[in-house]
Amino acid sequence: MFAYVESLRMALSAIWDNKLRAALTTLGIIIGILAVTLMGTLISGLDRSFEKSMSFLGRDVLYISKHEWFGQEEWWEIRNRPDLKVDYIEKLKNQSKYVIAAAPVAMRSVNITRKDEMAMGINLAGTTPEFAQTAFMNIESGRFYTEGEDRSGARVIAIGYDVANALFENENPIGKKVKIGNYVFRVVGVTEKQGKFLGLFSMDNRAIIPLGTYQRLFARRGWMRLDVKVDDEHIDEAKDEIIAIMRRLRGLRPEEKNDFAVNQQDAFRQQYQTMKIAIGGTGLFITVLSLVVGGIGIMNIMFVSVKERTKEIGVRKAVGATQGSIMRQFLLEALFICLFGGAVGIVLALGGSFLIDKFVFPSTMPVSLALISLILSSVVGVVAGLAPSYKAARLDPIEALRYE
Amino acid sequence: MADLIKLNGLQRYYEVGGETVKALDGVDLIINHNEYISIMGPSGSGKSTMMNMIGCLDSPTDGTYEFEGEKVHEMDDNQLASIRNRKIGFVFQTFNLLPKLTALRNVELPLIYANIPKDERLELAEIAMDKVSLTDRMHHKPNELSGGQRQRVAIARALVTNPSIILADEPTGNLDSKSGVEIMDVFDELHNEGNTIILVTHEAYIAKHAHRTIHILDGRIEKDAQNKTTKQRKQPSKKKATL
Ligand SMILES: Nc1ncnc2c1ncn2[C@@H]1O[C@H](COP(=O)(O)OP(=O)(O)OP(=O)(O)O)[C@@H](O)[C@H]1O
Ligand SMILES: [Mg+2]
Repeated sequence: MFAYVESLRMALSAIWDNKLRAALTTLGIIIGILAVTLMGTLISGLDRSFEKSMSFLGRDVLYISKHEWFGQEEWWEIRNRPDLKVDYIEKLKNQSKYVIAAAPVAMRSVNITRKDEMAMGINLAGTTPEFAQTAFMNIESGRFYTEGEDRSGARVIAIGYDVANALFENENPIGKKVKIGNYVFRVVGVTEKQGKFLGLFSMDNRAIIPLGTYQRLFARRGWMRLDVKVDDEHIDEAKDEIIAIMRRLRGLRPEEKNDFAVNQQDAFRQQYQTMKIAIGGTGLFITVLSLVVGGIGIMNIMFVSVKERTKEIGVRKAVGATQGSIMRQFLLEALFICLFGGAVGIVLALGGSFLIDKFVFPSTMPVSLALISLILSSVVGVVAGLAPSYKAARLDPIEALRYE
Repeated sequence: MADLIKLNGLQRYYEVGGETVKALDGVDLIINHNEYISIMGPSGSGKSTMMNMIGCLDSPTDGTYEFEGEKVHEMDDNQLASIRNRKIGFVFQTFNLLPKLTALRNVELPLIYANIPKDERLELAEIAMDKVSLTDRMHHKPNELSGGQRQRVAIARALVTNPSIILADEPTGNLDSKSGVEIMDVFDELHNEGNTIILVTHEAYIAKHAHRTIHILDGRIEKDAQNKTTKQRKQPSKKKATL
């Protein structure tokens, strides 16, 4: 028992005697631990912003479109697929028992002007009022347009938070006029600030008008998506059913492939998982590499330490140190050098995580990862210390004493 | 009681470049409790080899070695370490103190490996330092001590575990004659207290302190005799039984 405490004390004082050398050798360990913990922080942050983005999509909304998200089809195959039609919406709603709401969405990029102000590159969506249910958006002020306005092709518009800010700096936009090209629209609502989707497309940089108006003014045919909100307890059944209905609407024979795609959040999830594995794998690779390099450094320095202290080992053996106690002393030394490196790595990672949290995206360093890091560095220490410690333990006392 | 030490046909051969060096070539020897022995002999005759053997630092090539009836020549590494720790105090010509530890810590060292609690360790170490009259130098590092003082620290370290025997290989070899005499006074005193002491020396006046002198030549005992010239000392008291 006391021998253990003493081994610890001796190991620590040996490290203290060679502070600088110990600090330098831990560099590999520090980098390894830093890599693994920062990677954890990064992934936690990505997870968070990914989940936030996914909330724009909604788990229970299916997106029927010409192409699969992240699909493998050739572009020409997709181009040859027939366009989706507005009247599918009614048919889907009538024939499916799971559909809760459905909205066709057509989209294009426009510039919106008001007097001298211009908002450029706005995503203009033409859709029906049910979009309010499928799109997980809230109206901040004003209202969404009505069925009647939709049917009559009224020139009303709901604008995103950023658009409102750009065009109406200190005014209430509701009831005011804006122009898209030469067409004048009356602002009826402003949508709540939502942020960016996957950090790429701002959800606040858009405007929404009735589909009828959209088709009359901009495009009668062309790209369209059908957003279908389904019973969230039967998402898979709903998907199968919708595929069946769509095939019937398209008149496909059993042997023919789908000429449309029913997408859902999962596609993003899978894509995200792949990316996460790539990031995690890279991090793991860096970690393992630097831990191995660090371990070799520790082993090397421990061999030097054993050599330098050959005489000391001889003296200790002469007064009764067993092989075990010598082994323990040097193993503890290697272990503590690595634990020290691990601790420094974690402290640096805490700092790094703080910066990422502050300047990149909200994130936290997972505590479990810090613990794993410490365990990892202990393992490296013990493994790297084994050979030198064994060498020290096996030294012949007389030869060791004679060593100068 | 068994003999303290019993060597029988002890051999220690070294293979050097295809040649066999017979450092010890059949040594028979019995040493009893409370003997005071000096070993003499020319350089290379095997004195140190024999001391290392008796001190359980080395193992014989052939022959038997019994220490208090236990067969040392059959012991494994851990058993040898334990004997060195509990039963043997070794004093070296070059002191062999750990330079980073204070005198007291150096003396404490064997007790650490004897698994003795810290308070008791320091107490025993202080007692040992007192025996070599160095209580005023306990917190000095070896390089802050004179050669004679260092050797006294080394002696304190050797006797701190209250061993059965104290072995000293040329303990005065690195000291001037005045310090040498001081060291021999310490050994005389330890012997009077009941300790068993073997020391190697090249100096006749040092050897005279002992009661028995063994001469070694070419790895064999050439002569083994009681010292007639030893001035009559008071009969040593029985060895105290502490620890
Ligand atoms: N490790 C070794 N390898 C080979 N030969 C050795 C070894 N150690 C000692 N010897 C040889 O054994 C013989 C005895 O050596 P030892 O050190 O016992 O002599 P010694 O009597 O102590 O001499 P000195 O008075 O010079 O200290 C010498 O011939 C020496 O060369
Ligand atoms: Mg010698």
